[in-house]
Amino acid sequence: METKATPQRIVTRIEGEEGSLETARQGGPAARMQAPHKEHLYKLLVIGDLGVGKTSIIKRYVHQNFSSHYRATIGVDFALKVLHWDPETVVRLQLWDIAGQERFGNMTRVYYREAMGAFIVFDVTRPATFEAVAKWKNDLDSKLTLPNGKPVSVVLLANKCDQAKDVLMNNGLKMDQFCKEHGFVGWFETSAKENINIDEASRCLVKHILANECDLMESIEPDVVKPHLTSPKVVSCSSCAKS
Amino acid sequence: MADNLPSEFDVIVIGTGLPESIIAAACSRSGQRVLHVDSRNYYGGNWASFSFSGLLSWIKEYQENGDTTNESSRWQEQVLENEEAIGLSKKDKTIQHVEVFCYASQDLHEDVEEAGALQKNHASVTSANSTEAADSACLPTEDESLSIVSCEMSAEQTPSSDPESAPEVNDAEATGEKGDHCDDKTSEEETSTNVPTAADTIEQPKKNRITYSQIIKEGRRFNIDLVSKLLYSRGLLIDLLIKSNVSRYAEFKNITRILAFREGRVEQVPCSRADVFNSKQLSMVEKRMLMKFLTFCMEYEEHPDEYKGYEEIAFSEYLKTQKLTPNLQYFVLHSIAMTSETTTTTLDGLKATKNFLHCLGRYGNTPFLFPLYGQGELPQCFCRMCAVFGGIYCLRHSVQCLVVDKESRKCKAIIDQFGQRIMSTHFLVEDSYLSENMCSHVQYRQISRAVLITDRSVLKTDSDQQISILTVPAEEPGTSAVRVIELCSSTMTCMKGTYLVHLTCTSSKTARDDLEPVVQKLFTPFTEMEIEKEEVEKPRILWALYFNMRDSSDIDRNCYKDLPSNVYVCSGPDCALGNDNAVKQAETLFQQIYPNEDFCPPPPNPEDIILDGDSSQPGASESIAIPEANSETPEESANLENPQAPSE
Repeated sequence: METKATPQRIVTRIEGEEGSLETARQGGPAARMQAPHKEHLYKLLVIGDLGVGKTSIIKRYVHQNFSSHYRATIGVDFALKVLHWDPETVVRLQLWDIAGQERFGNMTRVYYREAMGAFIVFDVTRPATFEAVAKWKNDLDSKLTLPNGKPVSVVLLANKCDQAKDVLMNNGLKMDQFCKEHGFVGWFETSAKENINIDEASRCLVKHILANECDLMESIEPDVVKPHLTSPKVVSCSSCAKS
Repeated sequence: MADNLPSEFDVIVIGTGLPESIIAAACSRSGQRVLHVDSRNYYGGNWASFSFSGLLSWIKEYQENGDTTNESSRWQEQVLENEEAIGLSKKDKTIQHVEVFCYASQDLHEDVEEAGALQKNHASVTSANSTEAADSACLPTEDESLSIVSCEMSAEQTPSSDPESAPEVNDAEATGEKGDHCDDKTSEEETSTNVPTAADTIEQPKKNRITYSQIIKEGRRFNIDLVSKLLYSRGLLIDLLIKSNVSRYAEFKNITRILAFREGRVEQVPCSRADVFNSKQLSMVEKRMLMKFLTFCMEYEEHPDEYKGYEEIAFSEYLKTQKLTPNLQYFVLHSIAMTSETTTTTLDGLKATKNFLHCLGRYGNTPFLFPLYGQGELPQCFCRMCAVFGGIYCLRHSVQCLVVDKESRKCKAIIDQFGQRIMSTHFLVEDSYLSENMCSHVQYRQISRAVLITDRSVLKTDSDQQISILTVPAEEPGTSAVRVIELCSSTMTCMKGTYLVHLTCTSSKTARDDLEPVVQKLFTPFTEMEIEKEEVEKPRILWALYFNMRDSSDIDRNCYKDLPSNVYVCSGPDCALGNDNAVKQAETLFQQIYPNEDFCPPPPNPEDIILDGDSSQPGASESIAIPEANSETPEESANLENPQAPSE
């Protein structure tokens, strides 16, 4: 619906000071105690084959914008979405795209690490991308578990449903069964183009993450050093000076 | 799964070790099209870290030493008349003398497999058996595994276990990975309902005993480094991480203790001012002496008369002339300057001492940091950076040859395992990929390494979460000092209740010959029959690995035969404690390739990245604007952060 919009510039905050994992602890949610607010920061992964619409979903969700013009994700680690969950709770979501070009399934541990949840996306118009879903899920579970050892919550997104209206309608039961077998917490037919179900899918994922959260609080790791943080006026300025 | 690679790049990097990964990130960051490949199925090459099962696969690979990749012979056709091909090595020869010892009890009447770990990558390359095991993907719930950890287990050794599927184990007949897996979880439950049947369980103390099957089950908790290094808190790598903002991908722990081994005892070395004053082992006089000397070292350059005439004389001799007791001389020489070699001159010793003191206190009470999840994270952090800026990654992707133009003697392209020809302007190759022929004149040094899993720390204190470094001086001339780094479970490199101990030295013989004497001094093998003999006993070894790694760090590029001028060689890890060598190498090579480009500048401020969401400007496909002028440096933004953040 916005595709005909006049040229528009969108600012992407890949890493605002608060957006980075700095405030999150070891695999855990960060409760920043300012005011009576509870703030949570979650890293979410958006995974799936090339061209299934991962970046479009993120852009739609974070920037309310869709572009049919394909573009690989360059220079951007993640996009930040702030949700006002309820009057007391603010949830910040970092949506990590798989750096467009890391497309051969060789993701670094850095990408997976400390994520609290994931979307696995496939394209309803291309059956091969659905066949890859189980592979992505296995890969994810093999590389990432919550600090308590359980797998992270994953929601399955059947994207581009605007292009194939009834492909899945008949398969709803099968999809439910598939999700159960493969350990997805839910599935949604989505369209980044028409903005269908993306907010809903995200709410579903966040709800599951929040529900898991209490058993994770204990796993917070103390004494972790983050060089960029704890080095306010450091020597590295000298090396920057020459740049 | 993926379509064909693009056929042209600006830079092709072969090997994913630390120097290669830094260069890949630097090139990608400065806008070059980068292809980064590794023939292995994991990141990092000899800089990698492995889960326990991953390490077993790695060991197997080197012990079998026989696997050949299936290659297409089509590549000859791709080489034109005016070109020639320089073949690359198919076999990695950098690791030798791999020996494994398992001391933990192996109650393998059950089939054991790593909990929740699919580790497909490793498995697929090595043993078909473990692939099956992995594929069965039975995920025991954490509760079950935990209950096993906390319960005493009877140790029964069953002759029925299958030695074939396990890596060669020298003095124990069985190991974990069994060929046929069973995918029922009841086996574990049986294990945990431990009935003390075997005679030797009767006298067992009320302690957790870690068995081999627990190590296997908790295998994912391990991240075992092939190289054992630390980061100097003001070293080049930390500075690079901060400058490039790659540090956002990594987290670190402080090394908490510097230890020394004297007269058969392990003791803590006081190094910071607070340590010195709080030390119980030093007398008042010694405290004053040490402080005075360390204060002098901080600014030794300003007092050249203090060491005049000693510059080129051994540091140890110089220390004798200072007002220091033998005790203090030992600390300074071995634990602070860490220059145990008798050849170290006074000047180098003072420099090393100053560097140590200079790094103190930036992040903690010792000068060192260790990356959570192991050293193997660091190359991956740079790879992520490279990918985020458009670099393409292919593991399990080998390169058959470099294609060289006969006339210009320049490399034009590579031909990969599928016979695809990929062009590029510059080529970076990790030296283990170079063919034997090319390296025929090269003399390598070797590094001796040992990895131990132990059940307690070498020096027990109130906290069981200590990270320690200990230098054991050489005993005989001609051998070298052994560096021991002990990691606790909060470094995310080993399971709870165990310690991961890394030993490293420059090789004079095989790793086991070099290191076993030190291992025997500090540790004792775990044995089942053992009763609580002594209260203060040495840590017990549950599992041990020895191997030699090639040290190619000082090789001049002229040593390689017929190297085209646009092919640059990166070395494997060196034996030093820090990572300066890798960073220097990366920066030097990058400057050679792109003399006018900035090396790993900070990424643009998020606020300044503008994604053009409009499709009506098809020309602007790369529409990310990077206004340099007003981009805030990461340091500045760090300033805005709560300085207390780590303890938050």
